Amino acid sequence: MSASAIPAGPVQIGVEIEEQFHTEKQQRHAAKLGMWIWLATELLLFAGLFLVALIIRVQHPDAVTPAARHLKFAIGATNTAVLILSSLSMSGAIEMSRMGWQRGTVRCMQVTAALGTIFLLLKGFEYYKDFDEHMMPFLAWRPYELAHLPASALFVDDYYVATGLHGLHLTTGVAIVLVMAWQVGRPGYLARHQNRIEVLGLYWHFIDLIWMIVFPVLYLLNR
Amino acid sequence: MSPDGTATPPRQNLPATLRDPRPGRTTLGRPDDYLHAEHTLRSWLWTIDHKRIGILYLLSITFFFVFGAIAAGLIRLSLVVPDGQIFTNDTYNKLFTLHGVIMVWFFLIPSIPTTFGNFLLPIMIGAKEVAFPRLNRTSWYIFMAGALFTMADLVIGGVDTGWTFYAPFSTTFSNTYVLPALAGVIVVGFSSILTGLNFVVTVHTMRAPGMTWFRMPIFVWTMYAVSLIFLLATPVLTITLMLLVMERAFHIGVFDPALGGDPVLFEHMFWFYSHPAVYIMVLPGMGVISEIVPAFAQKKLFGYRFVAYASLGLASVTFLVWGHHMFVNGESETAAVAFSVLSFAVAVPSAVKVYNWTATIYKGSIKLDTPMLYAMAYIGLFVIGGLTGLFLATLSIDEHVHDTYFVVAHFHYIMVGGTALAFLGGLHYWWPKFTGRMYPEAWGRVSAFLGFIGFNATFFPQFLLGYMGMPRRYHNYPPEFQLLNVASSMGSLLLALGYLFPMIYLVWSLRYGKRASANPWLAKGLEWTTSSPPPAHNFDEQPVVDFEPYDYRDREARV
Repeated sequence: MSASAIPAGPVQIGVEIEEQFHTEKQQRHAAKLGMWIWLATELLLFAGLFLVALIIRVQHPDAVTPAARHLKFAIGATNTAVLILSSLSMSGAIEMSRMGWQRGTVRCMQVTAALGTIFLLLKGFEYYKDFDEHMMPFLAWRPYELAHLPASALFVDDYYVATGLHGLHLTTGVAIVLVMAWQVGRPGYLARHQNRIEVLGLYWHFIDLIWMIVFPVLYLLNR
Repeated sequence: MSPDGTATPPRQNLPATLRDPRPGRTTLGRPDDYLHAEHTLRSWLWTIDHKRIGILYLLSITFFFVFGAIAAGLIRLSLVVPDGQIFTNDTYNKLFTLHGVIMVWFFLIPSIPTTFGNFLLPIMIGAKEVAFPRLNRTSWYIFMAGALFTMADLVIGGVDTGWTFYAPFSTTFSNTYVLPALAGVIVVGFSSILTGLNFVVTVHTMRAPGMTWFRMPIFVWTMYAVSLIFLLATPVLTITLMLLVMERAFHIGVFDPALGGDPVLFEHMFWFYSHPAVYIMVLPGMGVISEIVPAFAQKKLFGYRFVAYASLGLASVTFLVWGHHMFVNGESETAAVAFSVLSFAVAVPSAVKVYNWTATIYKGSIKLDTPMLYAMAYIGLFVIGGLTGLFLATLSIDEHVHDTYFVVAHFHYIMVGGTALAFLGGLHYWWPKFTGRMYPEAWGRVSAFLGFIGFNATFFPQFLLGYMGMPRRYHNYPPEFQLLNVASSMGSLLLALGYLFPMIYLVWSLRYGKRASANPWLAKGLEWTTSSPPPAHNFDEQPVVDFEPYDYRDREARV
């Protein structure tokens, strides 16, 4: 389906009520609450990694600072900006879907997915640079730059686990945004499932929020 | 006899005035309940009906329970002799790991929430379904995938770390199949999270008109509290076990000192989940007892609001006491004192509940039917388990009995004497609602007594052994401990009978049991206003709640 075939709108919007609910309001409330709760568990999942990072920092400040100086501050900062922009376009998608602007919703979601992909590409480049600078202590066959500071490896490992888990969440997010953008482009989707875009929006903003914690805890705090 | 002269159908055999708070419906000659809606295997495996999912969980956890119990029996068999000649040390380690992992992760934690919770929570608040029925089905599949995978690993390969997976033994030194077991436990954690999420959203958004928060049965309150623990604690366990996996598989050092890590950090993160997990296991049992006791005393639950608040209080305080598992691990004195005081604080909401149950029984018209016998056993054993918990929270005594059989006996009093007996009590109490059949009462009472006596015979000697200094997890012991160990093993035989009998006669009752009426116990609560078993959408029309919880009538109106 060529993109120009998507009507600009406004089209009718609404929510198809599932069997177990009595009203649309009830269903919207349940869906949003469900996502919020899921996000709270995600925050706690990451909280374990932040805790590890902070404990390592307190216990081994001399080892953590040189390791943190190896992180690519410029790439991290750029990525922060990229994610903030992607949240902006996701908000645009939600607002437009509320008004029934079908084409605008699809475009905004595509922009969101593109920005997410840019983040992942930059992150991948950063990992390559880390590899290049011998900053991968878990690779037994490759010498580690800061081998004289054993505790620094803990921080670097935590960095890989945290950013890797975040990247996994973002990859999932990009995939869902792309699939849903395709669905929104089909006729009648907004009339049946408008609230799914709002729920997805919550998830997307939350992945950004996690990065807003990862960035200071790993990149800024230890410089 | 009904007005047209036909025989009264069994479900209608109570006068309408007794079937409170509103009459059940006629299901004469028309079995349209959830069990008979469809009969294919696919209709069970692909169901989104919360009641059928509850039954699927019931079958699954019973299956896991049997494996865990067999392992326990073999452990007790091995400990009959002091020199450990029945199994090799290696086999013994694998057996107690199998027992611990299966019983904790795949029986106790999911037991009451996923079976009774799934089945009853929507009915008790007057909803047609849980908020996310397909998610509910998904969480069963996730549970089964993780649990079966881990169990296959434990049975075929074997793991020797104990259920706690302490690092660095689990990441560096154990030569057994730790990785698959960890993977399975992580997967099952997601199932818990999804169940908790479903329950919280259901309680918030699906309550029937008039069902205010303080009209909800205590069982629903405890399910809500448990769901909060699932949601707040399980993710921390997930990331902790993921870090274990990373350390074992990729040598990413976090916990192993040789790799620069901190093993005590693992204990902190592990117990941050696993102490609240104790309340995941105990709170639902308290909810079940809070339903059974008023029904069989025919009396309003004493201090309803306090019991509700106590549930939330336990769910909160339990997050602040994890450090009492590390009293002897070089914890700072300040931290140890703080954790000790906070652990004492747990006794307050627990005692509130016990006092409220006993006050409910006081001057009630008590019927000592099977569920009530289990409830009484629960209260007694929970008190012993709780009081010995205070011993362990006391720093000086913990120094003496830490990692001995005293601890083993203490937590079995809470988990087996508490949760497993509450589970059996609830199973008998709601069996007519689940299946539409009554179980044989005499056999039920015999099993309740066997369970109670067998339990005490098994675990009371372990208090003595622990106090005398027998360490837990050991395969050999000095010969002077043999008498008490043999007593404990003999008791476990009785306990096994107490489990075996219900499994047999409950299955028997499915075909031969008396048909149950909508409200065989004359109990209150929305689940007793619908037919037994309930129709596919629980109620014919949406109930409107205009009555208070546990609204048992005055004495003179009782039968």
